[in-house]
Amino acid sequence: MSSSDQNPAPTPACGTGTSVPPPGKATTVSSQLLDMGAQAVQALKPVHQMKQHACSFALYAHDLGRQVEVHHFVSRLNQDVLQCAVYDSDRPSARLIGVEYIVTDAIFESLPPEEQKLWHSHAYEVKAGLWTDVGVPEALQSSEMARMAKTYGKLWCTWQVDRGDALPLGAPALMVSPQAAEPGRGRAELVRGRDERYRIDSSAQGLKGARVEMDEPEWINPNADYWRVHGKGFAVDVAATEMKRHAPFP
Amino acid sequence: MDKVAHHKNSSSPASIQHPGTRTYENRERERSRSSMASSCHEVEVPGKPTETGTALLETATGAIQGFGPVNQIHQHLCAFHFYGDDMTRQGEAHHFCAHLNEDVRQCLIFDGPDAGVRLIGVEYIVSEALVLTLPDGEKPLWHTHEFEVKGGVLFMPGVPGVVERRDLEKVCKTYGKTIHFWQVDRGDALPLGLPQIMMALTRDGQLRQDLAKCTCTLSQKFKFFILNLENFRAFSSKFLNSYSLFKRLVNELEGVGFIDFYVAGVEDKFSVSFQKERENRAYMSGPDHGIHPLANAAGKGLKTHLREVDLPATTTAAHAGRVFT
Repeated sequence: MSSSDQNPAPTPACGTGTSVPPPGKATTVSSQLLDMGAQAVQALKPVHQMKQHACSFALYAHDLGRQVEVHHFVSRLNQDVLQCAVYDSDRPSARLIGVEYIVTDAIFESLPPEEQKLWHSHAYEVKAGLWTDVGVPEALQSSEMARMAKTYGKLWCTWQVDRGDALPLGAPALMVSPQAAEPGRGRAELVRGRDERYRIDSSAQGLKGARVEMDEPEWINPNADYWRVHGKGFAVDVAATEMKRHAPFP
Repeated sequence: MDKVAHHKNSSSPASIQHPGTRTYENRERERSRSSMASSCHEVEVPGKPTETGTALLETATGAIQGFGPVNQIHQHLCAFHFYGDDMTRQGEAHHFCAHLNEDVRQCLIFDGPDAGVRLIGVEYIVSEALVLTLPDGEKPLWHTHEFEVKGGVLFMPGVPGVVERRDLEKVCKTYGKTIHFWQVDRGDALPLGLPQIMMALTRDGQLRQDLAKCTCTLSQKFKFFILNLENFRAFSSKFLNSYSLFKRLVNELEGVGFIDFYVAGVEDKFSVSFQKERENRAYMSGPDHGIHPLANAAGKGLKTHLREVDLPATTTAAHAGRVFT
């Protein structure tokens, strides 16, 4: 019915190859007022738990050459588990493109191997200066980055904006982290663009250099970063099935 | 679901039992910690408690960072989702939504309304006009909102009805695409497995009533039985006008051993009446062109599968021009 590695049939909503804003009329004043009213009386507590903005890059697990800049808004469930809303930029108009879960190595080791293959390691991404908390001086974020280097992530993309989808189309796609090996290296021009926009120096003179001394994980579980060992990627298919139900549907 | 007390009886409905006996004090502690946490399978996320240093650091870094997209989130909607392949698995879904424009909203879905709840999915809410432009292969992934709105089960906690209805008139005509990553309803302590395409209620009889209304088990002294507590609610509402008072009464009854098990439903927790809301919203109408026959899983069901694929050749030059801004 739908697959993460297949382009949707051509319609106004999809695939022009460039990043386009979603179609639709500008938000009306009445909607804005309703939103403001709702916000005034609603606590929105889970949203206020997002206390970290991290920027990095992600690669589609079915095609590592397709890479996007990602902005994580991170909330912490506990010392070992983070949950992130992932957007395509940090502007107010940014699109919600997915969700990433991040766990420490100890938790990752407790997962079954079938589950582990969906996760990616963060050591290279952090050490290479790709992952950074935007606007936070390295001295202040270094302890968090050192922790992050020992974590694993599971990132699901629900909106493939890079292929020009004006609306979220198709099946959710698994994403992975940049690694120090082709075809999973972060593309230089993508990194340069990000660095220039945020005045970040992720090079050996900047973040990468500053993180040379950072502890590396003693080992990275080979079940993670599946493509590195197996040379294969993952796609997700959505297929029709019979629904188990206790009442008619729809 | 708000678990005020845990089962003591082994024949009680599924709830993962923690080892060790629960003292009343323990239960009090759990209760305050998980107040309004919404999973009926109360499994704790593994991991150490957040260290003070970590929390302080996040406060410090958060203060100097911008939160552009997150600050756009202006609205909290509560509703229910069920799995694309299994209607019997249902859960409370708290949507925190931002408008991208008048026709498109994007929402983060949590399993409760409080701090410390789990981010379990995302939903996109899109106007009928735009959904009709989608390829046919895409439409089954989208569900309608007409019944949820008109049936009274979708609501904005804390927002006065008059204001709420202004917005729900619009929502009533929209379609949604919901994907969950964390199957908290089956007791997953971590987000495991594949993303799931979720569906929403489309008619009466689908919503599990224990999610809507409170469930209570009176102790053995009164013979063991589970009440779908219309009577208890009616009784208590005579004396108590808020959920917190109601909960205190339940706590008291539990303290003296009259209640073994109590789980609040959404109606109790948020002081809403689905029936009353249904009446208030009778005038609303769904999509102008009617519900598209391909929407709502084309009337069947949906399941996700993982497929191992060959990776394309190293240089995907075709994408080089698609630099993302």
